[in-house]
Amino acid sequence: MLSEAVKRDIEALRGRYPVAQSALIPALLRVQEEQGWVSPEAMAEVGRLLGLPVEVVAEVASFYTLIFTEPPGRHVVQLCTNVSCMLSGAEAVRERVERALGIRAGQTTPDGRVTLLAVECLAACDQAPCMIVDQQRHGPLSPEEAARLVEELD
Amino acid sequence: MSTVTLTINGRTVTVPKGTTVYHAARQLGVEIPIFCYHDRMPPLGACRMCFVQVEKMPRLQTSCTLEAQEGMVVWTESPTVVEARRAILEFLLINHPLDCPICDKGGECPLQDNTFKYGPGASRFVEPKRRFPKAVRLSPVLTLDRERCIMCWRCTRFGEVVAGDHALKGHDRGYRTHIDVPPVTQERPSKFIGNTIAICPVGALTSGVYRFRARPWDNRPVASVCNHCGVGCATWVDARGGEVVRVRAREKAEVNDIWLCDLGFFGYDYTQHPDRLTTPYVRERGVLREASWEEALDRVAHALGEAAPRVAALGGERLTVEEAYLLGRLFRSLGSNHVDARADARFTPSAREWAWGSGTFQALESAAVLVLVGCDLTEEYPVLWLRAKRALDRGLVGVAISPKRLEVEPYLKCSVLHDYGAEADVLYAAACLVGERAGGLPEPLREVDVDESCRRAGVDRAAVEELVRCLEAGPAVFAVGRLSWDGPHPERTLAALQTLQAVHGGQVWVLRGKGNAVGALLAGLVPDALPGLVALDDPQARARLHEVWGFAPPEEPGLSTPAMLEACAAGALRVLYVAGADPARDFPDGALWHRARAGLQLLVVTELFWTDTARQADVVLPALSIFEREGTVVNLEGRPQRVAPSRMGPPGARADGEILQVLAARLGRPMEYASVGAVWAELRRAAPQLDLDRPTELPRPRPQVEYRRPAAAGRQEEGLWVIPAAPLFRQGEMSARSRGLPELAGTPAVVLHAQDAAALGVDDGAEVELRAGDAVARVRAEVADRARPGHVLVPVGFSQLPRARWANPELRVRIRVLEGVSR
Amino acid sequence: MAEPVLLRYVREPDQGEIEAYERRGGYAALRRALRELSPDQVTDLVDRSQLRGRGGAGFPTGRKWKFVPKDAPVKYLVVNADEGEPGTFKDRTLLEGDPHLLVEGIALAAYANGVRTAYVYIRREFYEARRKLETAIAQAYQRGYLGQRILGTDFSLDVYVHPGAGAYIAGEETALLESLEGRRAMPRLKPPYFPAVMGLYSKPTVLNNVETLCCVPWIVREGPEWWLQQGPPQLYSVSGHVDRPQVVEAPLGTTARELIERAGGVRGGRQVKAFYPGGTSSRPLPARHLDVPLRHEELAQLGSMLGSAAVIVMDETTDMVKVIARVCEFYRDESCGKCTPCREGTVWVTQILDRILHGRGRPEDLDLLASLARNMTGTCFCPLGESVPPSLRAGLEDFREEFEAYIRAAREPVSMPVRLHLGAPAPGG
Ligand SMILES: Cc1cc2nc3c(=O)[nH]c(=O)nc-3n(C[C@H](O)[C@H](O)[C@H](O)COP(=O)(O)O)c2cc1C
Ligand code: SF4
Ligand code: FES
Repeated sequence: MLSEAVKRDIEALRGRYPVAQSALIPALLRVQEEQGWVSPEAMAEVGRLLGLPVEVVAEVASFYTLIFTEPPGRHVVQLCTNVSCMLSGAEAVRERVERALGIRAGQTTPDGRVTLLAVECLAACDQAPCMIVDQQRHGPLSPEEAARLVEELD
Repeated sequence: MSTVTLTINGRTVTVPKGTTVYHAARQLGVEIPIFCYHDRMPPLGACRMCFVQVEKMPRLQTSCTLEAQEGMVVWTESPTVVEARRAILEFLLINHPLDCPICDKGGECPLQDNTFKYGPGASRFVEPKRRFPKAVRLSPVLTLDRERCIMCWRCTRFGEVVAGDHALKGHDRGYRTHIDVPPVTQERPSKFIGNTIAICPVGALTSGVYRFRARPWDNRPVASVCNHCGVGCATWVDARGGEVVRVRAREKAEVNDIWLCDLGFFGYDYTQHPDRLTTPYVRERGVLREASWEEALDRVAHALGEAAPRVAALGGERLTVEEAYLLGRLFRSLGSNHVDARADARFTPSAREWAWGSGTFQALESAAVLVLVGCDLTEEYPVLWLRAKRALDRGLVGVAISPKRLEVEPYLKCSVLHDYGAEADVLYAAACLVGERAGGLPEPLREVDVDESCRRAGVDRAAVEELVRCLEAGPAVFAVGRLSWDGPHPERTLAALQTLQAVHGGQVWVLRGKGNAVGALLAGLVPDALPGLVALDDPQARARLHEVWGFAPPEEPGLSTPAMLEACAAGALRVLYVAGADPARDFPDGALWHRARAGLQLLVVTELFWTDTARQADVVLPALSIFEREGTVVNLEGRPQRVAPSRMGPPGARADGEILQVLAARLGRPMEYASVGAVWAELRRAAPQLDLDRPTELPRPRPQVEYRRPAAAGRQEEGLWVIPAAPLFRQGEMSARSRGLPELAGTPAVVLHAQDAAALGVDDGAEVELRAGDAVARVRAEVADRARPGHVLVPVGFSQLPRARWANPELRVRIRVLEGVSR
Repeated sequence: MAEPVLLRYVREPDQGEIEAYERRGGYAALRRALRELSPDQVTDLVDRSQLRGRGGAGFPTGRKWKFVPKDAPVKYLVVNADEGEPGTFKDRTLLEGDPHLLVEGIALAAYANGVRTAYVYIRREFYEARRKLETAIAQAYQRGYLGQRILGTDFSLDVYVHPGAGAYIAGEETALLESLEGRRAMPRLKPPYFPAVMGLYSKPTVLNNVETLCCVPWIVREGPEWWLQQGPPQLYSVSGHVDRPQVVEAPLGTTARELIERAGGVRGGRQVKAFYPGGTSSRPLPARHLDVPLRHEELAQLGSMLGSAAVIVMDETTDMVKVIARVCEFYRDESCGKCTPCREGTVWVTQILDRILHGRGRPEDLDLLASLARNMTGTCFCPLGESVPPSLRAGLEDFREEFEAYIRAAREPVSMPVRLHLGAPAPGG
């Protein structure tokens, strides 16, 4: 069930566009801000609010990597592994962070604390190797600094 | 139309402007391989198979997307093209399992064919292939093999462009893209999934029913017609070793184009079901026992002879027109005009005014507006929806006047949702507004108070104004459907429609009747008309019939279904002959049927299965299905089409026509014909307007302005109004015995609006008890805004919700949540 | 060295505040345009400045604007702030450092093109940039630079920020419009969907990159001649093995050698082996081209391109096989999946490269890769798939011995299981 606040926001988003479907992606992100992910039920509900078949909501949601259709951990760590970061040591950072969390990129810690994602260029190559923790960007990072950052997450 | 001339492989061709190079090449007989392109959908350009080389263009071009231009010089077999094509095929094949020997598509697979013609000889791919779970069951009738999928997007685009139901979608992206259904269960299954199987260019989508049953080269295809609903789609019936193994669409531009609905695709297994009746039964001391044909036919002939002319016949939708004609002829020879093909209808106005049936389907292409009046098009006539959808996409304006929200609402310009039975008020209000705009209300309409009408119908005036704005687009097709025809006040609805038609212009369609119902009416299975829907007292027609039949039919009109049943109940009619109809289950007044049965001396039924009516009959005669005999069937347009046998009937069953002929002989009124064709020829003499493959113009009253006041508001009863609505997938005798279809039908659920659900404490999915008079049912409840407040949608046609009990349009129902079962 | 133009104020911490922006001459161009110039005159200025799109395709902006039908009643402006090309970070720098510059550029472009509604499509990961931009937009509304009857004229404009959700392909203009319309970001067929005539909601649409629009206020304020005298100014994102990776503003046509110097030189004083001149979609060049002016024409001659002007520097220690494999993997994961050569070709190529890297390469793999590069060239639906061959070709032609070394050292030339499965756990990785 979506909260009233989310429903209101989706209604407002809808008003920004001449066609309701344009509000779909912002709406799904809004749901995710509150619930951490977009569940099948939420997809159906967003579809109802925007007058879209759930099939359409699902196909769109599945296309975008930052719409989570499975629940992630409480914190999401996006570690850039693209070329500029790789040249600056992203592989070592990744290994160290994986060790610190005890998981591989693409996984969530068993306690549901952190999901680690290896991602493409974050357009922050001036801070390579860099990483986004939830909504905060960090970099350049040594493996140790990166490990400390993820260890500090509650 | 302006044209362009271009050169393809050195030959010139002139085509209309806007033609793609692909089609221009085809016109020259030059073949270009394709995968993603399908000519019923706009080009996509995704598979990159159809490359051609165009002089002065630096890159290869996809011919399916490229518009032919004046002076273009195109090469389809240049070395670069051949090379690129081979490259594309190689890419497509790297992850394609080479399991052709066990693939259903083998032998009719475009990928196989194109690889053979254009592909690389050997693969350079040594990496492990992509693995997906094999044979995923996406629905009871649809199996998906993702490894075979080449992501051509045909099936997904079919759901978007053609059907509009979005049944299949591409999920994820890039190399992970795969076809899937949404993670939450859909409200209702697609009705058109068979078409995706048909257009899939590989063996990725296969029929859950046909899977592994045959190889295409072993099948014997027979051209026939689907007889499940009134659309009359052309089919290929593939038979193998005396068994029907699958049904496919046969291209017929005017009717079904190249499509079928899933009832047509998968509704064939019943014909070879072990439940088929194979021997006659007669009732003796209260119980039905097996009997010989001799005995059974003797009994029937004797009873008919004794009782004539107090005999009657019901049914016809499952018969061919020839058989319907013979049935009418036999009863008329017995001095009875009590024949009616509308066996499941309470409302049976003169078929000389209001014959069931439409105009030509193609009229949708030239009409400006389609007004669905109480017509749930996708549930009733699915393939007609595909045509409507295409017309809507091209600018036809769609409007619904309906007591429930329709599945197709997103494609309509406006939907006026009204209280059950009040469509006439909406139509009258609209007629007034139209009249006012045209500058002057015809006299009878001065009496109408628009606001009051809207209030009575429970609609906003603004909604009706919107409807009237939609009408401004031009002449309309008004399609009255079952929700109106079988609703509380159909006479008034028709009067109101006539009025709106008179002030606005357009034609009225009556979308009612399954199978060959329209054909049966035209063949004379109506109490007040002769074959061809000619007036009973037409001297010329009577003379002609006399000449052919050797007697003239009685002049007095017979009784139509409800009156006929009353007469049976009163003992005024003694023998009732039911041919391929199940009034015990389907006539929407079970009590009347009961009285009728009780009043009869003999009830005869010709049937495929033990229907409710068959169980109550005195004589049961096993008949043949539509797959087992030849003849003609007529669709809603009045278009006769030939059906042909694709299998033998079960030993012991006989065609209705044959049964009728034997009976006629025993009754001393022989009907002898050398062939089915001879019957058709004779029918055509009586009804010359019937012409193979030509729509027949069906009679309609002249539009006129007339105001019929609403019935005085009766006692305000308690409870919710029942809207009986028969879904496409239900527990029909035939669908219940066709693999896949019962699961598509699922368990029925009544639908309530959230407002009522809250008041009654009903949760979505709760088990509830419905009670209306002495009708009681336990079903699941669904809370959805398909239902309007104050109404409950009851899916009739399930064993727990038979039409006989639940299709009475005056029903109000009380709903109670069953303790402990609700979740 | 001349004073920077586009970057002049990005390091001023208060530049995101409207007062500071105004104080430094901000919104003067908009005032001037609304008071003194007709929309066509604004377009003319941009045309005369020879401004070319900074998103990657390098199309002349003035010409693009002139394609937009004048009399269409509804038109849109869409700002491409999806910045996804690996190695590119100049748009983010502008958004975070000088958001009002973009807002003013939007207002000018909208005025020039008769647009009343603009959407900024901003990639999801730009959290800070988005906050800054939204603040700037709100302030501009308050001051009457946006909204109804701007600065008392008849010109009105609404600007909305629209988030992306993780898809590089959404940076491609037609895919972006699909995404903005709430669909899967899959490129549209051109024709008929040329954005300028049939763009957002099938209406004429001006679509420009952030940096492109940030140039416009300067061009309007100081004039095209001045603009050209400045270089014209071009942002190069310089990253990789340089000491201080950063956005460098330099005249168009600056060489990689100079840019590397401005970024503090090669890290550790090592030698350059190769560099990407325009993001990973461009063909990487060996060090011998360090003195080529980084400009559209010269780079095209080398079979490369200026693209988004992202210069990724690789020093002598770089494993080119690994870099190229990583680049191909990127395109594999970011392919939309619509067309065959991109969807299947990227997989195949990465499988082969992966195998080579893991010591299972075969001598014939190099010819196979070359052939696949050929088969992916000129056959894809959009430029994404065609971004793989340039790297492959460079690898096989300029760094072939590195591939051969792997293959010579190969232990077992057989295939290995590849990480390809449905619903891989990590998005994006
Ligand atoms: C695969 C692909 C990705 C692209 N990504 C971006 C991007 O992230 N940002 C951008 O401004 N342009 C990107 N472009 C270029 C755009 O398609 C388009 O040319 C540009 O936004 C137009 O703006 P401009 O003329 O101001 O450069 C991309 C193009 C392709 C083919
Ligand atoms: S090249 Fe093809 S699959 Fe790749 S991103 Fe473009 S359209 Fe999509
Ligand atoms: S058939 Fe032309 S691209 Fe697929």
